[in-house]
Amino acid sequence: MDLTDAETAAIASGKDFVQMKNGPYDLDLVFAPDGIETFDDAWSRHLEIDGFPVCHPDDIIASKEAAGRPKDRESLPRLIAFREYWLRHLRNRQ
Amino acid sequence: MEIREPTPVELEQWEAEFEAAARRPLEQRMKYAFIKTYKPVLDDARFRVFDTMEEYRQWCDDNLPSWLGYGRV
Repeated sequence: MDLTDAETAAIASGKDFVQMKNGPYDLDLVFAPDGIETFDDAWSRHLEIDGFPVCHPDDIIASKEAAGRPKDRESLPRLIAFREYWLRHLRNRQ
Repeated sequence: MEIREPTPVELEQWEAEFEAAARRPLEQRMKYAFIKTYKPVLDDARFRVFDTMEEYRQWCDDNLPSWLGYGRV
């Protein structure tokens, strides 16, 4: 997604939330997610999946629980089930 | 916030989906994970910024249809 100079400046200026559409994917930059105290805390728990840094499932779940929106409430059962599946089957592969 | 427990049938179906996804290469998983559907108001602007999460949450409350599920409970 191509950004204008103004959009780039807005991202660099330290906003808490940036929402970008019309690229290959919608992309939200969340600099102060609910339920995650600091970046360093979350980073210390991050996972590497196929070379990409990924937020730990515990932190994603904590963030969605803290946000508490209906869409989060609907997605949490599946996300929690995935975390249990990941712990049983996939964690030691990574 | 109360989180519902999945039914045994749901759980079995989800785990089969997790297993199937785990067998796919990452690029394919990314392709299948993002299915674009139009979300009114939310998708009507290409770029938005919010100074704080509180501002973002308030904007969702004030502007988005409730059925999208972005409002605060």
